[in-house]
Amino acid sequence: MTNYPGASGNGNPSSREQGSDAGFGQRVDQIGSEAQQLWSDARGAVGDLGQTLDLRGRVERNPYGMIAAAIGVGYVLGGGLFTPLTARILKLGVRLAALPLVKDELLGMAETAFQGYQTGRSVMGSPAREGSASADASAAGTPRPPSY
Amino acid sequence: MDLNPQQVADRARQLQDRVVPQIDEARQNLVDMNNRVVSFIRANPGTCLLGAVAVGFLVGRIASRR
Repeated sequence: MTNYPGASGNGNPSSREQGSDAGFGQRVDQIGSEAQQLWSDARGAVGDLGQTLDLRGRVERNPYGMIAAAIGVGYVLGGGLFTPLTARILKLGVRLAALPLVKDELLGMAETAFQGYQTGRSVMGSPAREGSASADASAAGTPRPPSY
Repeated sequence: MDLNPQQVADRARQLQDRVVPQIDEARQNLVDMNNRVVSFIRANPGTCLLGAVAVGFLVGRIASRR
């Protein structure tokens, strides 16, 4: 146990004062050792957390992704989660995610329309089937002028 | 202004000769910059992550004030 300078009294110590001072010193000592223990536990916990998360390895493997994740964490911590900006970003993300699907759909429609147009033209060009050309064209997807 | 096909082809080739090296140089510059940024992030992960969190925090703060 550590001896503290104040523990010996002021030169004329009674036995009771000596006992209370010794108790105080013991308590301070105990608090100090507990604080040291807490500090070492905290350091160990931080080390374990670091090993579990493996931040260094993740940054090594995917630097831009980790930076984006850190920006997202900061954004949430800054209170930007339930804001119009988040709604805008989400909308933009949904649109970007849906873009390939819409593009494929539009390309398919355009291809079908073009094929129908080609078929209609070829049928219109042949004199034998002049009468049924408009019917074929409408079946192939080409719009037909209204008949009055 | 009349241009025959040969002249058009020549002009297109000149334009290509002028533009393609610039595009290649710009692409090379971008690749170099990307490599530098990635190596900086790998060398200082803690700083970069803390900076990114701070930037995100500021953006979130500004967005929440509006």
